[in-house]
Amino acid sequence: CGVLLTTATFAPPTPALVRSHRATARAAGSGRHRICMVSDFFYPNMGGVESHIYQLSQCLVEQGHKVVIATHAYGDRRGVRYLTRGLKVYYLPLQVMYNQSTSTTCFHSLPLLRCVFVRERITVVHAHSSFSAMAHDALFHAKTMGLNTVFTDHSLFGFADVSSVLTNKLLTVSLCDTNHIICVSYTSKENTVLRAGLDPEIVSVIPNAVDPTEFTPDPGRRDDSKITVVVVSRLVYRKGIDLLGGIIPELCAKHPDLCFLIGGEGPKRIVLEEVREKYQLHDRVRLLGALDHKDVRDVLVQGHIFLNTSLTEAFCMAIVEGASCGLQVVSTCVGGIPEVLPDEMVTLCEPTVRSLCDGLEIVIARQRSGSVPSPASIHRRVETLYTWRNVAERTEKVYNRVSGQEVLSLDRRLTRLTSHCGSVAGAIFAFIAVLNYLFLLLLQWLIPDDVIDIAIDGSGPQSCWTQTSSKKGKRKANQIL
Amino acid sequence: PPCGPVENKKVLYGRQPYPDNYVDRRFLAELRRNVGVQQLRYWSVAREAGLVGQQVSCVAVFVALWSSLDGGALPPAALLWGGLLAALLGYGLHGALGGGTGGRTRWADLQSAAIFLAFTFGFSPVLKTLTESVSTDTVYAMSALMLLAHLLFFPYARPSPPGSLSLNAALFGSVCLASRLPGALHAFAMLTWALLLFALWPCLLQRLRDRAPRAFPWAAALVSLAGVGGLSGLWPGGSVLLLLTLLALTLACPLLLVRLQRHKDNIHGPWDEAEIREDLSRFLD
Repeated sequence: CGVLLTTATFAPPTPALVRSHRATARAAGSGRHRICMVSDFFYPNMGGVESHIYQLSQCLVEQGHKVVIATHAYGDRRGVRYLTRGLKVYYLPLQVMYNQSTSTTCFHSLPLLRCVFVRERITVVHAHSSFSAMAHDALFHAKTMGLNTVFTDHSLFGFADVSSVLTNKLLTVSLCDTNHIICVSYTSKENTVLRAGLDPEIVSVIPNAVDPTEFTPDPGRRDDSKITVVVVSRLVYRKGIDLLGGIIPELCAKHPDLCFLIGGEGPKRIVLEEVREKYQLHDRVRLLGALDHKDVRDVLVQGHIFLNTSLTEAFCMAIVEGASCGLQVVSTCVGGIPEVLPDEMVTLCEPTVRSLCDGLEIVIARQRSGSVPSPASIHRRVETLYTWRNVAERTEKVYNRVSGQEVLSLDRRLTRLTSHCGSVAGAIFAFIAVLNYLFLLLLQWLIPDDVIDIAIDGSGPQSCWTQTSSKKGKRKANQIL
Repeated sequence: PPCGPVENKKVLYGRQPYPDNYVDRRFLAELRRNVGVQQLRYWSVAREAGLVGQQVSCVAVFVALWSSLDGGALPPAALLWGGLLAALLGYGLHGALGGGTGGRTRWADLQSAAIFLAFTFGFSPVLKTLTESVSTDTVYAMSALMLLAHLLFFPYARPSPPGSLSLNAALFGSVCLASRLPGALHAFAMLTWALLLFALWPCLLQRLRDRAPRAFPWAAALVSLAGVGGLSGLWPGGSVLLLLTLLALTLACPLLLVRLQRHKDNIHGPWDEAEIREDLSRFLD
């Protein structure tokens, strides 16, 4: 493998070698896929999408697939990085426009993404998050290049205002010729099917998961002389922080032993600070500010009750994390939240101050009477509900299904665009698709696929990572012998 | 797989006996269409659209007054007497309609009026020469733009008190036009009329709409006629154009809106972002 590494890095491999390489790859590719995950959102950025991509990729690598991740450069983190198990991440130098999302021009990212797709001999492109322009660009280019495409939608959208009308139109264009779509909850599936006008048969529901080893209970860390309510969320309007600002004074007045522990940062922090100031609750409402992902568990285990006040949520990992740490969960009943936890593990409320206070009162009373199950038993239960292995297995089925499908040829793609996306947008994007195809031809003429180096696999069946370690092991064994 | 008695529960935990892309008959069962949409009636829409029409006419009346003042067809003193008469009539009507004076006494009203008139009168020679260094074309273009802005930003939903942007735009436009008149008294007369038309008339109209809903369409029609009539003497083509615009605004556009109502297709479901309906500021005040 060491020899192979030098040839591939320093000298362009002969076309014959490449061709044989590709042939074997195709043959070996019956059950194994070479997947490229594309999204603007990846570590070091923190959030649900980021950890979803990471955990899913790790489990897919474990299953023997080759996975690479493409995202945009974060500060000085650019170029190629390797993560655990040889998971390769391309931090591409693309300009960030807004909220960590790159801009989309439908063209400028083609040279870079083509290079990644060809070098890594990608068979399936899996884009994440409808907020990510790079994900939509990657889908567009992958279809031009004749690769199979999968898209995961992580968020819900409305239909009423101008911005959702426009983004829904873009989603329609982006998904009309995508092979398969994954949504994280049934509500999210209904939403995506309506937004993009899709056939529901090509949309699968595969939930998120939580790593149960990361979120373990620790009842010793909490102060049982009082009752602590924990909130961990970005402090923004959509997370219902205004409701929280109403709940705190209501409940603190009734229960002198009640404390709030609030982790997270955002523009609505001011609301909570004003409430704390007005009702003199400095010793009972602690605002912790932004939390690192690794610190979340340490905050969660200090509480008895986990409160989620979101106004919209496709899946809500936070309540699963709270339950996994053994907390009693109180949450608003919005979006996909009622699908997430069994009824005995969560108290669902209407998104009003009154209803949330009532729900919290019930749980506080239960907590006082000691009739709640122990944190350890709740944790054991959550452990069985969601695992990343299960998510990976189900995603693998989607890849198997997709790799058997043919990618639409250019003429059929144009027909699909014009027939499916309305006459104006359809015509515009059909034109862009043609331009994109011509651009690809130009790139292929400038730098033919044969000339592009084939990258060394960090994961997958031909991973040099595992091979070198095993060879080294053998050599060592020989020396010892 | 979709056979047998196993019901596909809409839950994400635990294995479902169906493939992940299975679509059961309850898919989109919670979809609701056009929740709480009120059906519009043609004549009520037309009535409300009358407000837009009369505001366009107000601008036409103002331009007509300015033009006849500029051409010398109307002496400024006559305009001032007419303004006084209109103001007194309007003030009387405003009082007669009732609905409270907002805590203001007649004495306070008189004081405000006196202060305004005194200042405008005192400053009218300044206003007259204000834009002398600016070319006439620029002034006309600017006032046209400002009057258009007045129409665009006018708070049609609730004209009283007049929106600050639309009122300021209208007054700026009036000052521009007034500064091109031949004398200081002309400018003074023009500005008092601008105030009558753009600041006081919307207040009276709003009160008419609240207190005398039957009289409101007649008032709107009267202003519209005044606009068309006033413009016809100066520029017959323009008055025809205004008439067509008014007809389109008050009769054709509402018809279009009511027709388009049939195509309204609002979808609601569990994915909608929850709205906070209660007033949460009570926790902070």
